Amino acid sequence: MSHATKAVRNLAVAASLAACAAAAAAQPLPKAADLPDWSGAWTRSTGQFYESTADQALAAPPPLDSPRRHPPYTPKFEQIYQDNLRRIAADRFPDPISICGTPAGWPRLLALPDAYEFAIRPEQTWILTENGPNTIRIYTDGRTHPAPEDLWATYTGNSVGRWENGELVFDTVGLKGVGSTILARTGLIMSDELKTTTRIRLLEPNRLLVTVVLTDREALTRPWPVAFTYARLPAGSTVYDYACAENNRNPVTSDGRTLTLDPSGQIIDKLE
Amino acid sequence: MGRARIRLALLATLAAPSFAFAHHSTSMFEAEKRVTVTGAVKDFQWTNPHAWIQVVVTGADGKAVDWSFECGSPNTLSRQGWKPSTLKTGDPITVIANPMKDGTNAGLMYTVTLADGRVLGPGAPTQPAASAR
Repeated sequence: MSHATKAVRNLAVAASLAACAAAAAAQPLPKAADLPDWSGAWTRSTGQFYESTADQALAAPPPLDSPRRHPPYTPKFEQIYQDNLRRIAADRFPDPISICGTPAGWPRLLALPDAYEFAIRPEQTWILTENGPNTIRIYTDGRTHPAPEDLWATYTGNSVGRWENGELVFDTVGLKGVGSTILARTGLIMSDELKTTTRIRLLEPNRLLVTVVLTDREALTRPWPVAFTYARLPAGSTVYDYACAENNRNPVTSDGRTLTLDPSGQIIDKLE
Repeated sequence: MGRARIRLALLATLAAPSFAFAHHSTSMFEAEKRVTVTGAVKDFQWTNPHAWIQVVVTGADGKAVDWSFECGSPNTLSRQGWKPSTLKTGDPITVIANPMKDGTNAGLMYTVTLADGRVLGPGAPTQPAASAR
């Protein structure tokens, strides 16, 4: 990509973010009493990282060979993805979270097992995942994203948004990409140019719909939508601690192989 | 308990992959096979990121062999009826699991049948509120 083209793209992205920020700033804070009831604990009931709109969120997952499972990668990222598929076939595709030291990050944290909590206040929302654990903070107090020179890549990035008739809408920037995070163990990755626009609302009293549009000028040739739904757990459900390193009997070798240990810490795999 | 036994049940036709989301790749397990192992609980590790069941199996030759079974996290297990006290040392159990591809005496737990006949699952997925099912 030429410098001129890149500059135009940067300007377009900056203008888009500025428009979102302006919209957020113009939006008065809702009263706490007017916010929807997302209390309690939740669990993901549908969705993974395959192409899906809100209308498809509750449908059965697409077949494994469906093109909906293949992001519209740029040639460079298609090559990385194909290499990942080869590594998966050879059992050599390392998952960063398997070393029990880093979080899943955004938006991967939407596709975890175990429980979720969505804590909302007028000025901020937190999504808390039991697995990991992971926390993403979404600011709805009218602030804007930091200036580019003040923004560095983190696992959950920087999220600012607003409430629209009971729907939380937010943009996320400043994310770590390939080399630090993956989207899924199916080999999916994005770059650190990933930006997301997320909408969360209640479909019905005990079901949340989350739609995310991924935009990545390095990795994708077009925006890629994904969707998830979450079901509320029975009232009184408890969310627990999760300490990955507590008794990790599956260390990962430097070349990406997952081992299995016996209770004394000895490798029990039959290594070639 | 009667003589403990190992029964290799290659239930390929029934074996839709049963893998709960582990914190690691599950490529070391056979997704299309299940093994049935009956023995006595040696240890029950109620820990993250996975609980583990150590089972001692006594073969026809009288030799004792240890098996390791990986489970879900205590969090998901607890929502499916498991408790830290569910298994005690010496309890007779039958485990159905996806075995290791390399033949190691280990597997990914699919179900455990307790001495009282109860069958407990792998700890995923968590059951939602009735109105959201």
